[in-house]
Amino acid sequence: MKTRARLPRLVACGATLALALSLTACGDGNGGASADDGKIHVLVYGDATNKVEKRIVDTFNKTSDVKVVLDTIPGADYQQKLQTIISTPQAPDIFFNWGGGSIKPFVKADLLLPLDDFIKKNPDLENKFLPSVFNNAVVDGKPYGIPMRGTQPVLLFHNKKVLQEAGVTPPKTWDELVDAVGRLKDKGVTPIALGGGDIWPTQMWFQYLFDRVAGPDLLKKALAGDKSAWESPESKKALNMIRELVDAGAFGKNYDSVKYTNGGSVALLASDKAGFELMGSWYYSQQLTDHKEFAEKDLGYSAFPTVEGGKGDPKNVAGNTNNYYSVMKKTKHPEAVAEFLKLMYSDEFVKAQLDIGNLPTTTNTDEFIDSAVSPEYSRFQYDLVADAPSFQLSWDQAYPQKASSDLHKAVQQFFNGQLDTDGFIQAMQALPTE
Amino acid sequence: MTTETTSARPAAGPRKGPGRRPPASSATKVGRPGFAWALPAAVFFALFAIVPLIMVAVLSFMSWDGISPPEFVGTDNWSRLMDDPVMLKSIWLTLLLTVLGVVLQTPLSIVLGVWAAGYQRNRAVLSVIYFIPLLLSATAVSVLWRALLDPNFGIPADATWLFGDGNLFGEQATAIGVLAFVSTWQFTPFHTLIYQGAARAVPPVLYQAAEIDGAGRYRQFFHITLPQLRNSMITSMILMIVGGLTTFETVLILTQGGPGTDTTISAYYMYDKAFKGYDFGVGSAIALALVVAATIISLIVVRVSGYDKMRSTMEGVS
Amino acid sequence: MSRRRPNYLAGAGSLVWLFLVGLPLYVMLAATVRTRQDYADNGPVSIPDSFTLDNYTSAFDSGFGQYFVNTLVVTACVIGIVLLLVPPLAYAIVRSRGRATSAVFRLFLLGLAIPAQAVIVPMFYLISEAGLYDNLLGVILPTAAFCLPMSALILSGAMRDISPELYEAMAMDGASPRRMFFQLVLPLSRGGLSTIVVFSALQAWNGFLFPLVLTQSDSTKVVTLGLYNFQTEHGIDIPGLLGAVVLSMVPVLLVYLFARRALVQGLMGVGGK
Repeated sequence: MKTRARLPRLVACGATLALALSLTACGDGNGGASADDGKIHVLVYGDATNKVEKRIVDTFNKTSDVKVVLDTIPGADYQQKLQTIISTPQAPDIFFNWGGGSIKPFVKADLLLPLDDFIKKNPDLENKFLPSVFNNAVVDGKPYGIPMRGTQPVLLFHNKKVLQEAGVTPPKTWDELVDAVGRLKDKGVTPIALGGGDIWPTQMWFQYLFDRVAGPDLLKKALAGDKSAWESPESKKALNMIRELVDAGAFGKNYDSVKYTNGGSVALLASDKAGFELMGSWYYSQQLTDHKEFAEKDLGYSAFPTVEGGKGDPKNVAGNTNNYYSVMKKTKHPEAVAEFLKLMYSDEFVKAQLDIGNLPTTTNTDEFIDSAVSPEYSRFQYDLVADAPSFQLSWDQAYPQKASSDLHKAVQQFFNGQLDTDGFIQAMQALPTE
Repeated sequence: MTTETTSARPAAGPRKGPGRRPPASSATKVGRPGFAWALPAAVFFALFAIVPLIMVAVLSFMSWDGISPPEFVGTDNWSRLMDDPVMLKSIWLTLLLTVLGVVLQTPLSIVLGVWAAGYQRNRAVLSVIYFIPLLLSATAVSVLWRALLDPNFGIPADATWLFGDGNLFGEQATAIGVLAFVSTWQFTPFHTLIYQGAARAVPPVLYQAAEIDGAGRYRQFFHITLPQLRNSMITSMILMIVGGLTTFETVLILTQGGPGTDTTISAYYMYDKAFKGYDFGVGSAIALALVVAATIISLIVVRVSGYDKMRSTMEGVS
Repeated sequence: MSRRRPNYLAGAGSLVWLFLVGLPLYVMLAATVRTRQDYADNGPVSIPDSFTLDNYTSAFDSGFGQYFVNTLVVTACVIGIVLLLVPPLAYAIVRSRGRATSAVFRLFLLGLAIPAQAVIVPMFYLISEAGLYDNLLGVILPTAAFCLPMSALILSGAMRDISPELYEAMAMDGASPRRMFFQLVLPLSRGGLSTIVVFSALQAWNGFLFPLVLTQSDSTKVVTLGLYNFQTEHGIDIPGLLGAVVLSMVPVLLVYLFARRALVQGLMGVGGK
């Protein structure tokens, strides 16, 4: 009975200790994020590439009186967190975003600082960036974002060995692609690897093909609220082409169970089980990390094929234009913020980005490209983006964030046959545009 | 351990023979704790769970995107939900997955729990291994199972006779199957523990008596073990039902409600509306409906089973 | 106490289950000791042909030390609050005959059904108003609150097992409800107590949503948020991530190993049996 009698005292001790602990925690936990601590808070998408952002902040803090604090928010939930705090006193001074539709609602709610005053004082904040990239963070004629990571155009990657065995060359036109699909299928490989489980890789086929067939104006019209754009003959033509490609077995049968994010589709290409994969430019470094031997020997890449009779310029690209830093109106240190943003075109920034395989979109990137991890590949991308008359932002980023879930559903359902052409058109017309 | 247990509950059985009713009710007035004992916990809980829930109830009558100020819209959100085909579909899916969960997990955890309550040598080691899925975070579970079920490099590729082309996440039936399986995988350990404890507490004297009567193992299981587990089954099922109605993490991490909306259960739909569609009004309405539904169901279970009226069940022993 | 021959049917079932549980665990452990390239080239189910501890060291390098300490503080405090509040509550639920207490019991049943996601936005406003945003206390309080319903259910189940005669015996000695609580109820429900400790520890240790929304800076980050260091916008370093997951599991597993006896005993009480 003795041991048992001791227990209550033990519980009481434990509880007291815990309470004391929590009070101490209360005392020293005050480290961050109160809005008025005389610092600039920068909120970024937290992931494995944060080291460059950290380095730039350190450089800035060496000389500045007003210090910058970098707060990283776990990536997949970044958007949820941002939406929760943006209209509260806990909002940061500067935050990471995708330009386009991702900041439009904030502009509408009058939360963001237009950057034209900064630019008037220091025109380099605009001039030092490629215009097609800079313009994607312009809302209602005013600039709201400074590019801060790298550009990520989408390219058609291929397995050289598999293509060669099937007697196929990287396709320049859509017809060549369809022909290649048939031959690869005859060889018993999946013609095109697709991580349909993530849905956004599926969406890449839509945004590129719509741009080739109908030109960038279709989406601009749709985003401006003219929903008839989705009923146009071009829209239906592009949808038919997708339908035909899927029905021809180009993606195999189980693409919805394959993911890109866990390396499933990546391995498919690297293990000679597939011929092509359409993916953003980060694909190259992904393959280098996961399948070094394959990446160095057999990984090829080309631009998205052209479509005969299409309205879009064959030089257009689609993908993630860049990420941006936007500034909150409520910031107490606009001068320091302007100084901080200047670093986004500094030599140090460009070199550091190139070192981790990102391709910044500043005008001085050109000078440093030869020191990149794989200069030839960086050069190919840089020229592609610099020469492109239009850079189609990924659909889920061009639309307001709140549309992205329904947009993804429509894309997945059309692809797997749950929606027909009319159903898809209706679903796209139902998306909110502001 | 069993000996220790019986001694911890000083021989209630024998002492309380039918002839020896204690005179407690008449002679001695037993002091009972007042409401004050429950007060601190109730206040704390009200502050951090009920108050937010009331705010959610208010939000369900508002239109709010999280940025601009909320506006009252009356019952708009509710009537929109009534007409929403996805909402109706999600209710069916929720019920289906909840029932599947109970049907799969209950027998499995009873069998495992009763087995683990035995005294085999390997039992201790295996019990630890069985427990581990409970420790894994949602991220880890999703990463593991998506990798294991990859159609080209995971299990389906090695067992095409069973999985066909392996498109488990591309069709409704198989996607639901995977969800039911993974939640079973993750939550069975917990229910197994409940049954293990309960099976241990079954007085051995009952089995001894049955053996003398010549009852076989399976008759003992159905006539002694199962009836003795009744109360644990009620608790475990309440937890399963409430859990089934409100969990959405498994869906979030494995299928994101897809393909299309084929696995969009109500709790996930709430998340989808509120945090992906930034329609906090509708999201709140779904949340409130879920809380009310789950509470009503668990109250019914409690009432029907008489759980809240239960006093000591030691009486049932003699 | 040994009795009866082993149960072969249940044994066979448990072996099948062992395979289903063991395979993912094998994949996890194997992935953490191989290089990322080996994992990607040979697939998850294969036998590693490389051996490395880099996945564990890189977990530590990415700031896990600090995150561990934060998680420990949160977990300890949550356990403390639960141990302080739940035993008296469960005692009242089981022993009190008042209407108010049975209303409280229903309140907690309702609480069982509140998904944290549903209340996260109001919670954010509540915590910010209280000045606890980006403060570990702001994570501790709601996490503890959401542990209460389940803990109350489990502990009151355990307390139902205490024979009424024992109360009567103590009452004859003139014991107050208070003395009964400390001298009878607490000692006899220690199994249930260890169950709610393990349960709350799990909740606090694996909690994701409250820390995500209610903290921001690196100094208040917890382990579950740190797992995202292994994810990029477009992919995951699976071996690195799983290495961190295994590391973060170790403390809870240790607690479980030490508390297991008491835990199983405590769970005998769940459901009143």
